[in-house]
Amino acid sequence: MEQLKKEAVRYLVYGKNAVDAQTLELIEESFMNLQSAAGRKSIYRIFDLSLAGKENIRFGNLEVKSKSLGKNLLGCDKIVLFGATLGVGVDQLLFRTSKTDMARAVVLQACAAALLEEYCDACQDEIAEELKREGRFLRPRFSPGYGDFSIEYQRNVIRMLDSAKTIGLTITDSMMMVPSKSVTAVIGASTLLIHCHRQGCEACGKKDCIYRRQENLP
Amino acid sequence: MMIKEELGKKLLFFDGGMGTLLQAKGLKPGELPETWNAGHAEEVIGIHQAYIEAGSDIILTNTFGANALKFHDSSHPLKEIVCAAVQNVKEAVRRSGVGRKVYTALDVGPTGKLLKPMGDLEFEDAYEAFRQVMAYGEEAGVDLIHIETMSDTYELKAAVLAAKENTKLPVFATAIFDDRKKLLTGADVPAVVSLLEGLRVDALGINCGLGPEQMIPVLDELLSYASVPVIVKPNAGLPRQRGNETFYDVLPEDFAGTMKQIVEKGAAVIGGCCGTTPDHIRYMADYCRHIPLKPMEKKSYTIVSSYGQAVVFGADSKIVGERINPTGKKKFRQALKDHDLDYILKEGILQEENGAHILDVNVGLPDIDEKAMMVEAVAGLQSVTSLPLQIDTVDIHAMEAALRIYNGKAMVNSVSGKQESMDTVFPLIARYGGVVIGLTLDESGIPNTADGRVKIAEKIIREAEKYGIEKKDIVIDVLAMTISSEPHGALVALEAIRRVRKYLGVHTILGVSNISFGLPCRPILNSNFYTMAMYNGLSAGIVNPSSDEMMEAYHAYHALLGLDENCSAYVEKYASHGPRNAVRSASGQTGNASGSGGNVSGVGSAGNAAGFGNSSEGMNLKTVIEKGLKEEAHHITESLVQVQEPLEIINTHLIPALDHVGKGFENGSVFLPQLLMSAEAAKAAFSVLKERIADSGEQAEKKEKVVLATVKGDIHDIGKNIVKVLLENYSFDVVDLGKDVPPETILKTVKEQDIRLVGLSALMTTTVASMEETIRLLKKEVPECKIMVGGAVLNQEYADMIGADFYGKDAMQSVYYAQGLGTEKSKNPQ
Repeated sequence: MEQLKKEAVRYLVYGKNAVDAQTLELIEESFMNLQSAAGRKSIYRIFDLSLAGKENIRFGNLEVKSKSLGKNLLGCDKIVLFGATLGVGVDQLLFRTSKTDMARAVVLQACAAALLEEYCDACQDEIAEELKREGRFLRPRFSPGYGDFSIEYQRNVIRMLDSAKTIGLTITDSMMMVPSKSVTAVIGASTLLIHCHRQGCEACGKKDCIYRRQENLP
Repeated sequence: MMIKEELGKKLLFFDGGMGTLLQAKGLKPGELPETWNAGHAEEVIGIHQAYIEAGSDIILTNTFGANALKFHDSSHPLKEIVCAAVQNVKEAVRRSGVGRKVYTALDVGPTGKLLKPMGDLEFEDAYEAFRQVMAYGEEAGVDLIHIETMSDTYELKAAVLAAKENTKLPVFATAIFDDRKKLLTGADVPAVVSLLEGLRVDALGINCGLGPEQMIPVLDELLSYASVPVIVKPNAGLPRQRGNETFYDVLPEDFAGTMKQIVEKGAAVIGGCCGTTPDHIRYMADYCRHIPLKPMEKKSYTIVSSYGQAVVFGADSKIVGERINPTGKKKFRQALKDHDLDYILKEGILQEENGAHILDVNVGLPDIDEKAMMVEAVAGLQSVTSLPLQIDTVDIHAMEAALRIYNGKAMVNSVSGKQESMDTVFPLIARYGGVVIGLTLDESGIPNTADGRVKIAEKIIREAEKYGIEKKDIVIDVLAMTISSEPHGALVALEAIRRVRKYLGVHTILGVSNISFGLPCRPILNSNFYTMAMYNGLSAGIVNPSSDEMMEAYHAYHALLGLDENCSAYVEKYASHGPRNAVRSASGQTGNASGSGGNVSGVGSAGNAAGFGNSSEGMNLKTVIEKGLKEEAHHITESLVQVQEPLEIINTHLIPALDHVGKGFENGSVFLPQLLMSAEAAKAAFSVLKERIADSGEQAEKKEKVVLATVKGDIHDIGKNIVKVLLENYSFDVVDLGKDVPPETILKTVKEQDIRLVGLSALMTTTVASMEETIRLLKKEVPECKIMVGGAVLNQEYADMIGADFYGKDAMQSVYYAQGLGTEKSKNPQ
């Protein structure tokens, strides 16, 4: 819970500043509201992966061209397609709250983002456990939209996971995921164990991002 | 032989999974299985044939995802796909040469998109997509339509309506329930059953999502609510991953064993979904063939529902919130004239928080387009509350439009005993489903005896039967006449309620407060009459849930009559209130509906009337706003207006507080949540002042209008909403067009309302294109109008590139820009 709160505070752009008591109270209440509103669901499927050169990636029926994903997947022979969502209940709660109290809505939205990340991490741990039995190790998850891995691939991932049917994760014509608190990602799996200390936020090249995790903080 | 002749009389077997078998034959993940109907017809026919030989009576065409939303290019014309799919089933029937009738069912799955308001698909577009494929299916000669794997009641409604309105085929419909017995979008079993039976499907049930064992609790509930035959099509257990393979873990024999149990419980049509094979179906048919079918009993529950819940009428009394109604409400009338939808939505949320079970929605005013407003209000309310709605209008077109787009089975207010009323309202109920309120009045008016009113109720029930509308879908309103002009008004109503419940066996409803019209201290009469009416059998009272007296009567009645188990609702509501006198004064502070919006959040610090006095002691309004204390701001302003002029309060408290917080935000000592808490507190204070100014008859200052919109294709509007709150604080009249707004709508609004500033937001690179398109259109048609933009992916350079006049890197920047453009007067807060 403490970690969740910290992440919510980061999404609220407090940077290195301490959070005030009133906002902290809103954060705590928001996590409580999310407990009942969130219907966490996830799905994954594993595919054989072939890499040609630095940027040609192939799995299932799909060919992807992306240098940054190629780098992430280097040395992997399997790829996990992953989808997760907090469900429409969270969107409904957010919309309703934005009609009555925007301060609360903004906090709620940050908390939901933190909760989603935590859920994805937990799912990934489970998948890692599963693959460890076959002697494979996971890389950090990588989502369409990261680096030069085009956001358009969201649609392919969603279709290959049949996620509309399985977990209710859909996509609009303009590539927005509905429910909004959802993630699609690919995760490389390799027989080699590489310690990736740079994960998610820290691995991103956008160093001036206002949401960037403060690396020196506990 | 027609399937309707066998349905419910003989156990019918569906086929099993298609996708998994096609994958075994080489279908790639992500490849559309429907394309195989023409390209790999032999494989598809082979699978159908195997199911027929295994014992299936109904074969689903390979058209699960065949709709115009997925098939819109010319490489795979939809009509050909559907035709080929139907031919494949017929060919399989021919080849198998079994001596029994095998039915071809057009398989219709979900579109794969989420409907508005959550997603971007319009209800009517979903309807059209379903209509098209169903028309092709009927033309190609299917025997029935099977709609399945639906996880949203709204999409389910679009599909069933499309089938009913455009084909003559029997309609089966099944949904995916999860282990909490709910759909993904929240509906429970009675909500789904009442929706589908209201739309008059021929059979309904559950498929996919769960294995046979896990489906049993859902089945039990389905059987307790449904009157039509129930379908059960489980997966072969739960999906598991083995290497690259997904497999299902229930073997054919085990599957069949559970299916036997399912038939014994009362399912009438069974089959398999994901992971089931011809072997599963063969075992299932062998195990179940000789079990006698359990006849379905007609259920008599009166149920209204929404996308998220059902309200089942019973021994207790339901609260229908009456506040969304302009009659006698000046502010509400103004909100309707100003097209202020938020006002209506907040009124809905407040009533829900105060205990309403159903919300009455009446937006009738002589000089507005009631049909358009009703549709907007119903759709809007269904995006903020899952309470079922009661569509209240005398405008038959408004009623139909609202019933059509309503997500669930609505309550309808009302039909009367007048022939003309019954002739127009009943066809709508027959078509869309609904529970309709029957008013006991006819061509000769309202009878002044209970006898006369009961007779009209009987007439309404009889006439409804002609349309196939059952008694359970009628609720009688015997009408309360004020005792100030009708001395026996209450007695007649109470007696009529008693008789309607006892002798006609239908539920009753009443607008309770009419009883006291024209008399002083109306809550005294209303609440006592309310108790009497409930005691005589009132199933639902149309009341104000924010009225302490009415809620006291409600909770006391239920506690006293043993309808509130362990008095828990009563205790929860009143335990903390202390002596009775304290009840009113305490809840008076928190239950105030007077429009500050200050009490509608439902969680948090509201409601602590005692604590309030202490926490803000010694603080003045300025400090309270700076600290973002919304409740306190409301109360302090209320006492302040007794001694100070509104303008003075604004100048000495509100402006300095907002300036202080705004500056703090800019220099990094105040953060976004705090900025917004202050904004909400200021808003609460302003609303008190606004009321004061309105009461004094003074003309409020004319405010500068600003249009805000999240651009077309973009459905994330939190940023826009932040800007809105702040602009409103600084005296701008915000015309909020919402999210996913087409450029044309923005242009139209700018022209019609002579707008000089438009704010646009976009979240993603994919939607900035549509922002650019909007700017181009506005610059061409209304070059004098300024455009400011904001959103996560934007920066100054990007904003310049797409032709915006101003880029707001945060919400305060847009306020400063708007102020800079405005006239002198709008530079100050309200």
